[in-house]
Order: sequence, then structure tokens, then C-alpha cells
Amino acid sequence: MKILAIVLAVAFFTVAVLYWVGLFGGVHVKHGILFAGLGVLALIWLRFQSAAPTRAR
Amino acid sequence: MFLAALQGVSELFPISSLGHTVLIPALLHWKIARESPQFLSFVVALHLGTALALVVFYRTTWKGIITAFVRSVVRGRFDGTSDEKTAWLLIAGTIPVALLGVYFESTVRSLFASPLPVSLFLVANGAIMFLGERLRRAQHAGRGKGYRVLEEISWLDGALIGLSQGLALLPGISRSGTSIVAGLLADLDHESAARFSFLLATPVILAASVVEVPLLFTPSGSAILTEALAGGALSGIVAYASVAFLTKYFESNDLRPFGWYCLVVGAVCAVLFATKVIA
Repeated sequence: MKILAIVLAVAFFTVAVLYWVGLFGGVHVKHGILFAGLGVLALIWLRFQSAAPTRAR
Repeated sequence: MFLAALQGVSELFPISSLGHTVLIPALLHWKIARESPQFLSFVVALHLGTALALVVFYRTTWKGIITAFVRSVVRGRFDGTSDEKTAWLLIAGTIPVALLGVYFESTVRSLFASPLPVSLFLVANGAIMFLGERLRRAQHAGRGKGYRVLEEISWLDGALIGLSQGLALLPGISRSGTSIVAGLLADLDHESAARFSFLLATPVILAASVVEVPLLFTPSGSAILTEALAGGALSGIVAYASVAFLTKYFESNDLRPFGWYCLVVGAVCAVLFATKVIA
């Protein structure tokens, strides 16, 4: 699942950049922000998987 | 100033702000160039005012939510505290509506933002509220226990409540109305459903308006900067009063008065526009 999180993060950030530079039919700031946000969430998901497991409370 | 006050009230009351900003100018024969840079700048300021009012009203809640979220990310685990759960429910609810808004908002609004369809959607908005109240009573009667609190709903419920806001892309359908109804169907009480709806609205309205803030500093935006700032301030004050009223109101009341309002106003407007009494 870590691999999936990394792949998703890279994909989302790439799409965000492509929107910002205008490769999808003009510059779309909001679309770019949305995908950058999804990229951040994918990184958070990665962080949750990478954190050391804790004993059950 | 009238539009600013109208925005402050109708953005949070479940009666559709966009619907009212289409219907009232049409009823009063106001000529508003909706696509003009000046009008768009003005609208940005109004939304910013509304969003800031929500942030100020729920400042303590937001502080707790953001702190819990950051703590959860730093730790890399979910401890299930109330604020942490709310933070992730807000994220689960915001993603679907952000996707819908970004891809479909302008297309849907350009198709339907004329008085007759808006009037009909306002009627539909009233019907949604009545239907929601009825379904919720029937659904809850079968459960035989108290209503759930926000932290008890599932991620899927959170996402569905967020998704329900997508209906509000149709002018005349209220964002807060649909999300409160969705919250009720997730077995929340009115107070919790309304609170979640207002919390859910904040990041979307704030992000959408902050992105457009540069419009205020373009030559056409600067030309009406004073009016825009005054409008934004008034919209914020009215929105603050509205959210204060609604949170109190939903402690012991339901959506039906708003449902009646939408049914009656929507039906009257539909007749007036369909029969061309008002062109």
C-alpha cells in the first residue's frame, strides 16, 4: 500500500502542475489546487502507513 | 449592500443563496452583468466575508480540529479523539464536493441560472427538506435509540454528506439544506447536522474565494474595491448573525419552515416567470 500512496502522490502532483502550466486547455488554478490537495492527502496516507505501529491501548 | 446582506443570510439559511441572487434581481428588474469583472470581484468579497464569519464563529472548534489533525499527521496514526474524527470527516466530505465543484460548477450554472429553472429548483429544495424530515423520522423510529453524535458517523456517511452538497450546483438547491438533510439521514440530530454543514461549508467557501482574491486587485476590481470591502464586511456581519441564529434555532426546531418558504416562493416565482407576468 505504501507504493500505491507514493504513486498516487506523484500522479496527483503531476496533474496539479500540468493544470497550473496550462497543458489541459489553459491554466486552471482551482483544478491544480485540488490535485495538489489530493497529493498532500496521499502523502499523509503514506505517513500513516510508515509510522511505527503502537501497542493497542 | 442589499446583495451583500442577502448573501450573508441566504448562504447559510437552507434557502439557496445563488437561487436568490438570480430571482430577486429578476423580480425587481435589476440589470446585473453577472460575467463582468466588477460583479465577480464583488461576489468574491461577499463570499470571503461569509467564510471569515464562519471561521470566527467556530474559531474554538477550528482550533481544536486543526490541532488534532496536525497531531494525528505528525504521529502518523489516528487516535479517534472527537476533534480528530471531525477533522477527517470534514476531509472525507470536502473531497467529493470539491471535485464536483471544480469540474461541473460553471457548466451546470450556465445551463440553469435563469429565473424559471431556478424557481423550480427552489420548489425541489423545499420538497427535499420535507422528504428528508419525513424519511429521517421513519428511519429513526425503527432504530429505537437516541440520535448519533458527529463522531459516531462513518467515513462513508461523511463523504455522502459532502457529496450531497453537489446538488447545490443547481441554482435554487441549497448547499446547507442538502447537507443538513444528508446529516439527518445519517441519524444526526438537527443541531449536529447543521453544525457539520456549516463546518463543511467553511473550507470550500474560503478556498473558492481566496483563490479569486487577486480579482479584487485587477484594474476593474480596484475600481469597486471600496464597495466590495464594504459589501464583504456587511455580508460577514449578517452571516455571523445568521449562523448564531441557526445554531440556536436547530437546537429545538427542524427544516420544515424553510421547506415551506422554498415551496411557496419557488411556486409563486415559477408561475410569474412561466406566465411572463414578469419577463
